[in-house]
Parts: sequence; structure tokens; C-alpha cells
Amino acid sequence: MTRTKSALDKALVDAHNAGNKAEIARLYEEAGNVFEADGDVDGAAFYLTHAYVFALEIGSSRADQLQERLHRLGREVPPSKEL
Amino acid sequence: MNAHNDFASVLAPIAEARGLSNEHYTSPAFFEAEKRAVFFDNWSGIGFGKDVPEPGDVKPIDFLGLPLLLARDQDGELHVYQNTCRHRGMILVEEPTNIRGVIRCPYHSWCYSLKGDLKTTPHVGGPGQNVHESVDRSELGLIEIRSHVWHDVIFVNVSANRPELEIDNAKLVERWQEFQKPVFHGGPDSSFTLDVKTNWKLAVENYCESYHLPWVHPGLNSYSRLEDHYHIEEDGQFSGQGTLVYRQLKGEEGEIFPDFKDLSEHWDEGAEYIAVYPNVLMGVHRDHMFSIVIQPKDAETSVEHVEIYYPEPIANDAAFNSLRQKNAAQWKGVFVEDVFVVEGMQRGRHGRLFDGGKFSPVMDNPTHMFHQWVARQLCRRP
Repeated sequence: MTRTKSALDKALVDAHNAGNKAEIARLYEEAGNVFEADGDVDGAAFYLTHAYVFALEIGSSRADQLQERLHRLGREVPPSKEL
Repeated sequence: MNAHNDFASVLAPIAEARGLSNEHYTSPAFFEAEKRAVFFDNWSGIGFGKDVPEPGDVKPIDFLGLPLLLARDQDGELHVYQNTCRHRGMILVEEPTNIRGVIRCPYHSWCYSLKGDLKTTPHVGGPGQNVHESVDRSELGLIEIRSHVWHDVIFVNVSANRPELEIDNAKLVERWQEFQKPVFHGGPDSSFTLDVKTNWKLAVENYCESYHLPWVHPGLNSYSRLEDHYHIEEDGQFSGQGTLVYRQLKGEEGEIFPDFKDLSEHWDEGAEYIAVYPNVLMGVHRDHMFSIVIQPKDAETSVEHVEIYYPEPIANDAAFNSLRQKNAAQWKGVFVEDVFVVEGMQRGRHGRLFDGGKFSPVMDNPTHMFHQWVARQLCRRP
């Protein structure tokens, strides 16, 4: 089930307040999905970027997939070119 | 700073020499000049590998106002970085922690791997655009400070101007070649710090001479007399003292620490205490070694970080708990006995008519050698 944007906003604020970075990454990715489904590529890239950053920070295996996804949107270097 | 007027007397042969003048111990301007000429331009001690034991461990430290970050990467390699983001200069890490992924700047979330690579630059080209043609990540990694770990002491050569540490200190490495083996920290009870109201140099000077031992450490007289000690002098590199009558510590039931393997007979009762210029004091014995990193805080205050190591991993071995604690207590007792001396000499250097001091041409040679070394560093880079 997809949450509304306002429900996502609240969940993100709660996750930030709790310092739960895995949850933050997951929720940002969910937000990216919502914007992408709406056809808002810029909005999707914005939230997927945040998901990527927090996934990187915690060493999540999702980071590679998010990087690839951002790359396909023209927003990030490809994983093969990363340093 | 213009300290050159008194260097001629410092650089004179010991019988005619005087020590460094008061200002070298009390003046903030002189202290500032030492940062670059003495510390950044040489291999200086900043900490210990055991402070970041696990992959992902990071620890921020302040080295003479320079914000540094100790980081152990996922391959176990230790790095020393400037703890400053390449974007807006934000401090990256505020507290010791373990990082599972990347170092994320708390300001705009530029992210760096533990190997120093810049991994991502979120929104750098506008919202949701993380690349820009003018932002070349390959040129914007963390600035790595040249470092080398020797006997678990982390040395840095900030100016990157010296030969490799083990070449720069080749004579010491060779001298202690028999101890060139893995060392194991003794754990929390083998670690202590002393805050001392003294210029860092006085702690070095007191450490590397044996002249004071019978007066300041009378407990040593019963078995370690002044005549059992010898000077260690390697001009331009290090100085210190050795003893010929080291006695192993024994527990109540006669237990002793394991020895370093394959030591020559010299070390049966030999031990050496050397000041590795500028600020690392090391001591080796058949069954343990210690290192002290002197952290200069300002012209008149320092912190001594003392860590004790053993040839085998006995930190968590209950059979050695009592002996390990006894050894740490014994060394702490000795170093605490020295505090009134280094603090007293510091206060004495506010005596305006003090001329740097007259050396004993027989007993103060290691100290004079250190003064000469400091003077040469300051002459080289005024």
C-alpha cells in the first residue's frame, strides 16, 4: 500500500527524530517511488538522492541499486565509474 | 619570532652551551613557530592504533589546532585525514564512532569512503542532480595526512617533507630491531593520561636523562643505581637512557609476563628509554614496552598519553590481571613522581634572569642533544 505524501512526510519526520537511518533511507525511497509514479522525475530524483545518501551512510546494500537508478535518471555517476 | 640570538649558545659544545631560553617554554609566539618547524615538518606522534581497533572505527583528534581524523578502513588499513569537508570546510566527525558505510558531512551530505574517496555530492548540480561538470570527485577526496604506525604509535608528517619514518629513524629501528614484532595493548588498565602544567619539551628533557633518577625516584636506588645507566645519543634523531639492571616484575606467586621471542642476552636485564623527537617517548623491556605521546596543548600545558603493550595478547587473560595492573601502577607511580619536576621547571622559566641553564657535560648530554635538535629545526624554518 502506498502512503499519501503527507503521511510520508510525517513518517520521515518521525524517523529523523528517532535517528533511524535505515528507516529514513527506506522512506525516502518510497517517496521517490511516489513521485516517479506521478511522472515527476525531478521530485523522484530528489528523494532517491536522499535515500541513496542515507543508504550509503549505513552501508546498506540498497545503495548500489539506488545509485544505478539515479544514474538511469542522469543524476549520478554509474556504479562502474564510482571512485 | 626572533629566537636566533640565543641559538649559538645552544648549538655550542655542551661544556660551553646554555639551554633554550625561557621564551621557548613560555611564549605563545614561540609555541606557534614550533608547530610548523618542529611538529609538522617532522614525524610527530598523534595517537595510537589501538584507539581505532576495528574496521570502520573513526576518532577525531586535535593536533596543535589541526583537526585530524583517525580512520580504519574496511580492509583494516589506518588513515589520517584532515577532518574537514572539501565543500564548505565543515568538521566531518565530532565524536569517536564506528562507521558502517561512508563518512557523511553533516552540513550538505557530501559523502566520503573510509579510503577517502568522494562518493557522492548530493544536489551539487541543483535539486536531485548529483553531478556537475565542474565538480571532479577524483580531485576532491579527503586530504590524507602522511602517516606511519610504528609499535602502534601513529606518527604523522604533516608537511610531507621527510623520508619514510623507518628510513628517517633508521638507526632507532635498527637499534630496536629485536623488538620489531607485533605488540598487543594491555587493555583499559594499561592506559592512562597525565595533564601537566608544563611545556612539552620539559617532559621530553626529563625523560631522556638519568641524572635525576636517584633524586626524584629514590625507590629505584635499591636496585637501579645511577651508574647502572648509560646515555643513548643519535644526533639529529633521538636520545635517551638505558639501564643494565632491569628486573622483571613478579606476581605474588612468582608469575611473570611472557617475553618477546628471540631476544639476545643483552635484554635479559637491559632496558632502554628513548625520546623519538619531537614528542614520542618509548621504553622497551624483555616483557613489555610502553609509549608516551606528549600532546602539546599550549606553551605551558601538555597531556601525556601513556599506553603499555605486551608481546602477547594478555589484555583479557585473567591470569595476568593482577600483574598487568601492578605494572601499570608502577609506571604511573614513576611518571607521577616526575610531574612536580616538569611543572617546577616550567614555573622556573618565568624567572626572567634564567639563562637557559648550564648543562652537566657528563650527565646532561641527551638533553643537550634534544635542545640542539629543536634549535636546528627552528633555524631551518624561521
